[in-house]
This record gives sequence, structure tokens and C-alpha cells, in this order.
Amino acid sequence: MSEPIISIRGLRVVYHALRGVVKAVDNVSLDVMKGELIGVVGESGSGKTTLAMAILRLLPPKVARIVGGHILFDGLDLATAREEELRKVRWSRISYVPQAALNALNPTLKIIDHFMETAKSHGIRDRKWVVERASELLETLRLEPERVLNSYPHELSGGMKQRVLIALSMLLNPEVIILDEPTTALDVLTQYFILNLLRAIKEKYNMTMMFITHDIAVIAGIGDRVAVFYAGKVMEIGDVYTIFKRPAHPYTRALIKSIPTLTGNIEEMKPIPGTPPDLINPPPGCRFHPRCPYAMEKCKRVEPPMVELKPGHLAACWLLA
Amino acid sequence: MKWIYRRLIIVFLTIYAAITITFFVVRAMPGDPIDALAQELVWKYHMSYEQARQLAMSIAPFLPKGDILHQYIRYMINFFRGNLGVSISYSTGTPVISILAAAIPWTVLVVATALIISFTVGILIGMVMAYKHGSKLDSGLAVLFSITRSIPEYIAAIILLWVFAFELGWFPTRGRYDYWALEALKHGDVFAFVWDVMWHATLPILSWIVVHVGGWALGMRGSTVSVLGEDFVHYAVARGLPSRRIVVTYVGKNAILPLFTSFMLALGFMFGGSVFIEYIFSYQGIGWVLYQAIIERDWFLMMGAFDIIVVAVVIGALLADLLYGFLDPRVRRPA
Ligand SMILES: Nc1ncnc2c1ncn2[C@@H]1O[C@H](COP(=O)(O)OP(=O)(O)OP(=O)(O)O)[C@@H](O)[C@H]1O
Ligand SMILES: [Mg+2]
Repeated sequence: MSEPIISIRGLRVVYHALRGVVKAVDNVSLDVMKGELIGVVGESGSGKTTLAMAILRLLPPKVARIVGGHILFDGLDLATAREEELRKVRWSRISYVPQAALNALNPTLKIIDHFMETAKSHGIRDRKWVVERASELLETLRLEPERVLNSYPHELSGGMKQRVLIALSMLLNPEVIILDEPTTALDVLTQYFILNLLRAIKEKYNMTMMFITHDIAVIAGIGDRVAVFYAGKVMEIGDVYTIFKRPAHPYTRALIKSIPTLTGNIEEMKPIPGTPPDLINPPPGCRFHPRCPYAMEKCKRVEPPMVELKPGHLAACWLLA
Repeated sequence: MKWIYRRLIIVFLTIYAAITITFFVVRAMPGDPIDALAQELVWKYHMSYEQARQLAMSIAPFLPKGDILHQYIRYMINFFRGNLGVSISYSTGTPVISILAAAIPWTVLVVATALIISFTVGILIGMVMAYKHGSKLDSGLAVLFSITRSIPEYIAAIILLWVFAFELGWFPTRGRYDYWALEALKHGDVFAFVWDVMWHATLPILSWIVVHVGGWALGMRGSTVSVLGEDFVHYAVARGLPSRRIVVTYVGKNAILPLFTSFMLALGFMFGGSVFIEYIFSYQGIGWVLYQAIIERDWFLMMGAFDIIVVAVVIGALLADLLYGFLDPRVRRPA
């Protein structure tokens, strides 16, 4: 579990919106280690989905552009790879579970057809194999394969659909799965249930998972490492224990304090004051400084570098540099 | 299964109500068949109105007697027995049913062909426009179609008639077929007859297409644009499905769904034909018959033609409901 399977270096992605250029991912470097479950956490609009779409090169073609950096995967730079090379990687080697999962299936096709067409598009024509593999996956996810495969999407509940998408993402036994908020549409119990399943599946099939969420508490239970995103930048990276027990960055600390707990006192829960910055005109210096209680003069002018506090624990903050 | 009985009862009541309304509206029109015929005689033979009216009465002895309520009851009873009365404007006494039966195939030929062509072409163009949304091609076609769809049918027909029949002489100016073609048919030359029929039908069909293709294209464009924004389309791309499959099964199929009901209703309305197009090309289909019947105040023929249209539209709507379930599993009902 020590070598990286995906290495992101200095990645920059922009959207050309009507109001101007949105710097959605700005100079992000991140290693995804083989066999780990890494959580990517950040508020809404911090660029998490954009990062995922950049890795798969599925950004909306006319609006979005990768303007810099590299995404290294098995000797290939996905940031610049040609479409044929990407097609060999997509889904069979890196797949994903979309964020808006509830409407991700074709309403006019049965679930089984979604599995069939996906396999067929990657050169697998053996129907029996597909049915067996799909059934096995669905069973692992505690769904009744018979019933689910013969259903139309509208006949399934939100939680069932979500699990179907997870099964679809694993159909071709990919090395990496990117899960973009796969549980946000679910109630707490189903969410808990699916998270534990994901953890178990990852162990069983020895996959690498990148788990995107805005809810840092979700990562606490299942993740190996966490990358904290803020306004298109990585603020802190570390293993789950360190991030929760000894968060170094003021933003991470604020994020953890904002988690409501069932047993905790409501007064102890502190939402982060202020709002995330506009990514068309992000604040100079540290992007978090307008909301940071410790902000210094320097923070407003110069961007803090990423410093390694101890092996594997990095943060970008002038308090630590 | 219960809903289908309920649906059938509604169909029956709708038809019943529509026929009743047709009956009274037709009867409330100013003038009556005798008067219309008398006027014509006065105009043609320079008789006095009194004389003409006497003559007209003797020519058309089939007019309903008794007060209007009795007439209505008799008409309804006969209607459900399949008897629509007789015509007075055609060779007097011809059953309305046989006049309509002779006209319907011609109207269906023209309108069904036109409808299928304009629907297919409209859908394809609409999808291309949606895929090129915002391009010059898209906005150009959008402007063009909003113009063509607001052209009245008779204007389109007159322009086509003038250009392609009178000026260029490529197509005949009127009628369903030529006399010689009928003779050829009698001698067993089916091909020559069919060819002549198609040649005559071309301009009426084109007029219809010119007016209606834009509506289908714009409808499909809007519905495709919204389907293109759906998550399941992006997710299909991500799964690496070939674009052909995405265009047909993901975008096309889902985008056609909202147009399907209008298509089935249009199929129903097709039995009404187009009064204006048939009139301008003297094309003797239902629309033409209806026009003649109105001029002559031929009550039974008028009612018969309207009734056919009503029944066809209601059945079209019923079929649309029944078939929609096959296309869209979300509304499929348990068998
Ligand atoms: N198609 C687009 N055109 C213009 N701007 C976009 C587009 N998609 C995303 N953005 C902008 O890019 C930024 C990052 O968006 P992104 O969807 O990656 O955030 P996110 O972290 O996934 O948020 P969420 O938790 O809400 O899913 C946002 O400011 C958003 O407004
Ligand atoms: Mg997102």
C-alpha cells in the first residue's frame, strides 16, 4: 500500500462560464495509493466533482479545460492522453459512481440491459458471464439479483439504484473506483449500511477507491486517508486518524467542529462563518483567509506552500510553515 | 384490467357527446339544404325563388321530418346501427357511408404519407438541431421552421400549385388520377395506375409536409435538448457506450416519448384530411367532401364527415394511451 496508482501533479481545470473563468481545480497535487480508500472532502463547489471528471476526462467539452498539470496512471498521462487511450482506461480500469445517481439510469431500459451494454461496449459478449458477475455483485451489495436485474430503474428505491450503480462501476473489475457522493441521497441507516459494504468490497476485491463527500464524518468510519479541499485547492492531506485527532489546518479544524453529533451539545457545533469564495475572483494569498480566525497579514498576500508536518501528513498554512 | 373498461366507457361517452354537439351545431347553421339547392337553381336557371324551392323539395325528398328532438333521437339510433343517412348534394339518395368510404382511402393516402414523412424527417432534423444547439445551422432552421409552421395550409398549397404545376408543369394541377390511368388499371396495368396516383398526390403531400415538418422538428429539438442534459446520458458516455447507442437508445428514445401522444392524435385527425389542401388541388378526399357538404348544407354528409373525424381522434387518443405503456415502462400498467 505504498506505491501510488494515480499521481496528480499541479492539476488546473477551468470552466469558461458567462461571468468569467472559473478556476475550479487550481494547482492540485495528490497521490492515490494502491489499495487504499481515500476520502476527498470539501464544501459544495470546492471542485471535487471537477477533479473526478478530470481524472476520467469526462469534463463538458466546450466549457471545461485542463489548463495544466498531469494525471499519471500506469505510465499514461490522462490529462493529455488521446481519446483511444482513454477509452481503454475508462470503466475497465478506472470507473466511477456518479454524484447525481438517482437519474443516472436510462428509464426505458431494464437494469440487466445496463450491465449488458456496458460489458458489450468493452468487448464482452458473453451474456452468461455478465449475468453471473452482475448477480454476484448485487448479492454482495445485498440486493436480490433476480428481481433487480429484471426491474426498470423507476421500480427501484433510491438506495437500490445507488447500489446498482456501485455494482455497475465494479462490473469490469476496475483497479480504481471514484465514488462521487454515493450516499448523500440516502437516509442515515442506508448510508451507514452502504459505507460498510464498500469497505468490505474494497477488501474483498482489492480495489482502490476515491470517495468524494462534503461530509467529513462519513470518511471517519471507512477511509484510510483524507484530502481536504477548499476552493479548488488541497488544504490538508493525512491519514484518517491524524486528520481527526490532530488536524493541522484551521479549515480542517473548523470542518470537524461543524459536524453535528447525536450526543454532543448543539452549542459545541460551530458552523464555519462566511461563505466559500467566488472561484472566478478567488481571494489572493491563502484562499481561506477571509474566513480564518488566525489570518495574518502574510495570509492575505502570499499563498502558503504545502509543508510536510510528519511523513504523510501535509498542510498548506502559514501557521505551520 | 379494470381501467380499460373505465377508459372504454369514457371513449363511448366522448364520442356520444361529440356527435350530439355536431348534430346541433350543424342544424344551427344558417340556411338549410332545400334553401341551398333552391338558391343554386335560381342562380343556374333563373327561376323564381318560389318555383326553385318547389323543385328543390321534389329533388330532395329525404329531408328529416318532425321536430328536431325526434330527428336527433332517430339520428343517434341510426348512427349506432351504422346508418349515417343519405346525401342530398351528391346524386340524391346516396348513403353517406358509401360517400365517406370512397373518400377516406384517398385522404389517408395523402395524410398518412405526409404525416409519416414529416414526423420522421422532423425528428431527425430536430435531433441534429439539438446536438448543434446554438449553432448557425440550429438558429437558421429554428427561424425557418417558425415561419413555415405559421403558413396557412392553403397558402402553401397555392404556392406549390402555382410553381410546380402551372409554371414548371412537373405535376398535375388537380384530381386524384387521370382518366387514362383508370383505363390502364382496367386493362390490368396496376403499376401505371399507382404511378399516376402518386404523381397526383405529390403536391398535396408536399403542401402538408411544408406546413407540419417544422412543428415536429422544433418539438423534437426541445425535447432532445432536455434529454441531452439528463444525467443518464452523461453516465452512458462515461461507461464508454458507443455514440450510436447513446444517440438512439438514450437520447432518441427518451426524446420521442413526449411527442408520441401528439403523433397519435395527428393520426386521428388525419381522417379529417385537410379541407384547404384538398379543395385547392380538387383532391376528392374527406376534406373535399366536407367542403362540398358545407356549401350545399348537406346536413347528413356534413355530420357524417365530422363524426368520422371525432371517432378517429378519440380512437387515436385511446391507442396513444394503450401503446404509450409499451414505450415508456414508467407508465406501464400491470397486466
Ligand atoms: N459546467 C460548468 N460551467 C461553469 N462552472 C462550473 C461548471 N461545473 C462546475 N462549475 C463550477 O466549478 C466549481 C466546482 O464545481 P464542482 O461541481 O466540482 O464542485 P463540488 O465540490 O463537486 O460541489 P458539490 O459538493 O456541490 O458537488 C463551482 O464553483 C461550480 O460553480
Ligand atoms: Mg460534486
